[in-house]
Amino acid sequence: MNILDTLRISASGLTAQRVRLQAISSNMANARSTRTDEGTPYRRQMPVFQAVKANSFGSELAQQLSRVEVVEVERSEAPFREVFDPGHPDADEDGYVKYPNVDILHEMVDLMNTSRTYEANSNVTETTYKMANQALELGR
Amino acid sequence: MKHLLFDNLHVGLGNVLDLRSQQSAMTAGNIANTDTPNYKAKFIPFDELLKTTMGTDDMAMSRTRTAHLESMQGTADDPAIEEIEAPPWALDGNSVSLEREMVRLKSNALQYSTITRGITKRLSMLRFVIDSKR
Repeated sequence: MNILDTLRISASGLTAQRVRLQAISSNMANARSTRTDEGTPYRRQMPVFQAVKANSFGSELAQQLSRVEVVEVERSEAPFREVFDPGHPDADEDGYVKYPNVDILHEMVDLMNTSRTYEANSNVTETTYKMANQALELGR
Repeated sequence: MKHLLFDNLHVGLGNVLDLRSQQSAMTAGNIANTDTPNYKAKFIPFDELLKTTMGTDDMAMSRTRTAHLESMQGTADDPAIEEIEAPPWALDGNSVSLEREMVRLKSNALQYSTITRGITKRLSMLRFVIDSKR
């Protein structure tokens, strides 16, 4: 158990939120992409988080600590948004165009949530540094 | 025999400092896992621990046997950990509250700096005695 463990844990939180931010920006940028390599319209990307033991040895407490890891980036299977637009090059016989299953409002809320969590994690890093410095100044 | 320079209180303060830094690691883990499904927030219950770590309420001033010192050491290595249950409305089973964790982080850091200051003060008192000439 040392100060580096704490920093590593909050760094993992920062990384996870950054990956989430990337997924959000990708979703927002592709909110109207009707074509992808797979041949379907763009599918919403969702990073999946998992708590991973930060330290497999050490005291009982040290083993309880967990950092966070992005295990995979899932693609949403939700139905595509169908819009009637016969003039669109990707419209089907009935004149409907399938747009990605991305909800901009949903992404915006996620974005705010991400930035708040990122902020919290960086706050932890800062506080940890402060504590480490105080420990170094013991007895001065 | 009671140790003159580094007595019970001194050892106790060191233990508390250790616990505080462990608590900060725990809070870091909680905050990092704010969005992890089914993660349960963990914390060290300090109120109960303080009694066992620092001895009894009277700060063990009246202890006469060296064996009693043992009760003050060691607890910092293996503190009890409590988990917070997720509230019924938490759909992802996650029980981390960012607000609660931030408050815990900051108050923990404040306690930490209070204790470091206390230790520094004690050391400077010792140094004053050592340095003083007749």
